[in-house]
Amino acid sequence: MKMADGSTILRRNRPGTTSKDFCRWPDEPLEEMDSTLAVQQYIQQLIKRDPSNVELILTMPEAQDEGVWKYEHLRQFCMELNGLAVRLQKECSPSTCTQMTATDQWIFLCAAHKTPKECPAIDYTRHTLDGAACLLNSNKYFPSRVSIKESSVTKLGSVCRRVYRIFSHAFFHHRRIFDEFEAETYLCHRFTHFVTKYNLMSKENLIVPISDGENAAPGESEA
Amino acid sequence: MMLSSINNSFEQDTHDVDANCDGPDLDFVYSDVDSYQNEIAELYSYTEYSEFQSNVKAFEDQMELYDLPPNWQKQDSASQRSIVMKLIDQLEVSNRTLRMQAARCILYLAQGCWAEVQSDEEQHQNTRDNVIVLYELGVFSSFIDLLNMEIESACSPDIVAVKITNVTLVDSTDIRVILSVLYIITETIRDEREKASEDYKDLSESFVQEINSPLPDGELLAVKLLGMITRFCSGAAPQFPMKKVVLLLWKVSLLGLGGMDVLKNLKNEYRLKVGLDPITEDTLEVTKCMRASSPPATATDILENQYPKRNFKRSLMKQRFLDEPEQIDMEMSGNEGSGNANNSGGNNGGSNGEEELLQYYRPFDDPSSSASTTATANPNNQPSLTAPLAAVPPVQITARLPWTPKVRQKDIDQFLDISRNKFIGYSLIGDHESLAGLPQPIHEGFKTLQRHMYMSLADMQIKKEEDIARNPISTHEDEIKLTPAEILYQAILPNLPQYMIALLKVLLAASPTSKSKTESINIMADVLPKKMPLTATQSTKLTVDMGRHKEIIVKAVSAIILLYLKHFKINHVYQFEFMSQHLVFANCIPLVLKFFNQTITEYVNTKNNIPLLDFPSCVIGEQPDLSGDSFVYGADMSDKPYSWRNVFSCINLLRILNKLIKWKHSRVMMLVVFKSAPILKKTLKVRHAMMQLYVLKLLKMQTKYLGRQWRKSNMKTMSAIYSKVRHRLNDDWAFGNDLESRPWDFQAEECTLRACVDRFNLRRYPEATQKCGAGGGSGNNGGGGTATQNAENSQQSNMNAGNGYGGNTGGADSNGYGGNNGGGGGGNNSGNNQQQQQQLNDYGVEGGFPSDEILTHSDFAFFGHSGWWDRKVELTDYFKANYAVWLEEEVYNSQTDWDAL
Repeated sequence: MKMADGSTILRRNRPGTTSKDFCRWPDEPLEEMDSTLAVQQYIQQLIKRDPSNVELILTMPEAQDEGVWKYEHLRQFCMELNGLAVRLQKECSPSTCTQMTATDQWIFLCAAHKTPKECPAIDYTRHTLDGAACLLNSNKYFPSRVSIKESSVTKLGSVCRRVYRIFSHAFFHHRRIFDEFEAETYLCHRFTHFVTKYNLMSKENLIVPISDGENAAPGESEA
Repeated sequence: MMLSSINNSFEQDTHDVDANCDGPDLDFVYSDVDSYQNEIAELYSYTEYSEFQSNVKAFEDQMELYDLPPNWQKQDSASQRSIVMKLIDQLEVSNRTLRMQAARCILYLAQGCWAEVQSDEEQHQNTRDNVIVLYELGVFSSFIDLLNMEIESACSPDIVAVKITNVTLVDSTDIRVILSVLYIITETIRDEREKASEDYKDLSESFVQEINSPLPDGELLAVKLLGMITRFCSGAAPQFPMKKVVLLLWKVSLLGLGGMDVLKNLKNEYRLKVGLDPITEDTLEVTKCMRASSPPATATDILENQYPKRNFKRSLMKQRFLDEPEQIDMEMSGNEGSGNANNSGGNNGGSNGEEELLQYYRPFDDPSSSASTTATANPNNQPSLTAPLAAVPPVQITARLPWTPKVRQKDIDQFLDISRNKFIGYSLIGDHESLAGLPQPIHEGFKTLQRHMYMSLADMQIKKEEDIARNPISTHEDEIKLTPAEILYQAILPNLPQYMIALLKVLLAASPTSKSKTESINIMADVLPKKMPLTATQSTKLTVDMGRHKEIIVKAVSAIILLYLKHFKINHVYQFEFMSQHLVFANCIPLVLKFFNQTITEYVNTKNNIPLLDFPSCVIGEQPDLSGDSFVYGADMSDKPYSWRNVFSCINLLRILNKLIKWKHSRVMMLVVFKSAPILKKTLKVRHAMMQLYVLKLLKMQTKYLGRQWRKSNMKTMSAIYSKVRHRLNDDWAFGNDLESRPWDFQAEECTLRACVDRFNLRRYPEATQKCGAGGGSGNNGGGGTATQNAENSQQSNMNAGNGYGGNTGGADSNGYGGNNGGGGGGNNSGNNQQQQQQLNDYGVEGGFPSDEILTHSDFAFFGHSGWWDRKVELTDYFKANYAVWLEEEVYNSQTDWDAL
């Protein structure tokens, strides 16, 4: 890609890139992105610019396929959620959190197995993120990242539902980690907006209070 | 009584007089399924009635929890979706009670929120709307997860402890909720797809895609359900509600594979692909305009025949039979042709028999030349060709045969061979054409035969297989297309024998002639309530319910088997042969015959239905008074004069039988030794053209083995065959006597077929075949199989001390048909021949109809225990210690008189 000054910018993290330079390349307008991964690139660019500007990140560009847009966002969520999982590992172990709970009423089953079963919270987190990655990368359901089958779009709902429990577990049981993570990434905030906007989850199920008040339904009232 | 009467009534056209046998034709129209309403109503048994209330209760409770009014229709669509999403969330909770409460709520939604509506239509509309929402939000896959959990928990040891006979409705409460939701979604989508509803178009597309591809755990939904049936039959999970499982399996398969229309199109598509002409005759269409034959003469008829003046009306009717125009011509009401035919019949009556005969035979000269030219060329050329344009009735109807005759290449070759031997004195093997030196009439005959030659898809596929076997490297095989049938076959191949046995076991348990008490499986578990009924009314209700339950199971299982057979047949004939061979090994043929060995007219007319208790009538509007006796039979009168599902099952079973037996000499002989003729003839009493056609086909196959006496006393049946069943040129079905030519070589026939099938499976699906160990030809495997098999047999015979080799006894239990084919290419050995002899004794000499004993107690072992190959042979210590003695006595010293065999 030629830039004005004539030098070529490769938007790659080469081996040996220092953390300071990681992903440090100039922004590019969506129209000029010509790879098949343009949407992902665009989303990541927006997040990098300002993770707190959830509205902007979730604003779908014109002429964008909605299925792809949702898919790419969910992909991005799962990728970033791994960051939360890594932090959780330090504190959340099978001995401390033996079950996947948010509020104490409901214990959730881990759907990643042939037969859903009760996994410890951290295992649930790992299994669910792995399962989501498998599904989102599966050739069968998502053979293309340019257009998404209508039948596969319905799969996104169940991924959201399961992934969200990671947020709620972190919020109710590992508040410190959650707050730290959230302050950096605004991930739960963005996720809540995302599922609300595209109607992927029921509002009452979004039990983690979100700062701006719009979705601040206190968890206990629902469950 | 039946059994003895069968054995004796071999020769006469006499029958006990049934009511209804002179009634009008049944207006039954065969199709893939019954009406949507009936298919849904059949999901529930009447004893489940009280559970409807718990669904609505669950819904109300849940709505209270959400602080919403318990009224679904008052919610706007956003809120509806939100509620469903919350319910799905709850489905993943580990607390079972909470989970099932959510499941029940969803069931209530799928049932169309019946508590809020006034009419069936409203309820249906709600179901329709809700299914869209449910499916789009992923309820179907969530419920499959739930189903997995139920299957899993079914194998936990504490549950298995329940005794089979003690299992009741209560034990399957949860799993029935799950299966019901899956079934309603499937059936609703299937129905809307059939109706081509606009709002369901995309949804049904993706649904079909979903059920045709493996679930996340890698298993096909159909396979999962088949696995449930197998597990149920093994006694490991007696609480599985079989009716719902088979219904769901049927609908899933039907939707996944496609019904009759899909089959027809696929067949023509495949035929075109291999360079054959598309089929123009559609059995279903042709039989629709065929009229049913009068039932075979009854005892009263014969009496009256002797005293013709006794009953004027009767004798008139007899004349009508004699004319037989009704049998020959097509039923086309309101058009001139049939009017003429009837007129001529009426006018000429019996007085002018010869002219009638002329009419009868005239069309013979040329049905095919007309068929082979264009449709417009010949005015005589009608129903078969115009049938696809069903809406347009044929312009002119003449009395002619309904089918164009056919001939196989094999028959032409035989004809040429005989002629050459006769006129030139030598044969030209492999030459299908040269006529040199043959006289003119033979040329003509040859031309006629060739004009009628019919190549089936199967012929082409077999030829291809032969080519590949001969030139494995140079022959190019097209890429195997992953059609739904292919996917299904690959998925069930490793366990196909077990699945077939399981399906047949369920069918046997559900067939009306079986004695339910002695069953090893209890298919009634999902009807029987915890408390047995106390009042007479209640027990009548339960009896009806149980009868209905069985009928529905027979309906579903027969439909599943037929559907699979048909799809495999066009997909690849050896897939079909594999399945059908296993059905035969599992005793499908006697089982079906046994099924028809009942008063079939009664079965067809049975009314095991209480319309007031059918869903949704049982919950909508004014509740029926359940205390009186009247409700049980009250509403029956208005209904059809026959039971849709029973006619449907009968036709399915007859078609299955036809599929299994057609062109298989060995299996035709089974029809003969099981004395099927009287049973089949009784079946002719059902006045339905299509059903009769399939019976007549079965009779036609075996006519030449039934003897002169039988033919003489069954001329009416013979003429019905003549006029209804397709003619095979130079097939001497009626009078041929090649009995002597091939006495008992049908073992070899099955073996050859088996070898071909094994070769096919091994080549195309090496992994799956290895898994099930059926790979006969593959060196180690095959050799090992034969050896162990023999060892097992011998061991068995050792136990039968005093019987020498165990020769004529005990065979039925452990040795068998399957066993003989064990090695595939393994060839014959003395053990095999001994077995063969036993086999002959078993069904040749003793003959007769298999009793319940054989079928139930020996686990379908009459023809060998299928699935023998994956059974580990455990040799006893005694045998291991003394095997040398055995070897000496049984192998080295055993003399086989080869000539005697």
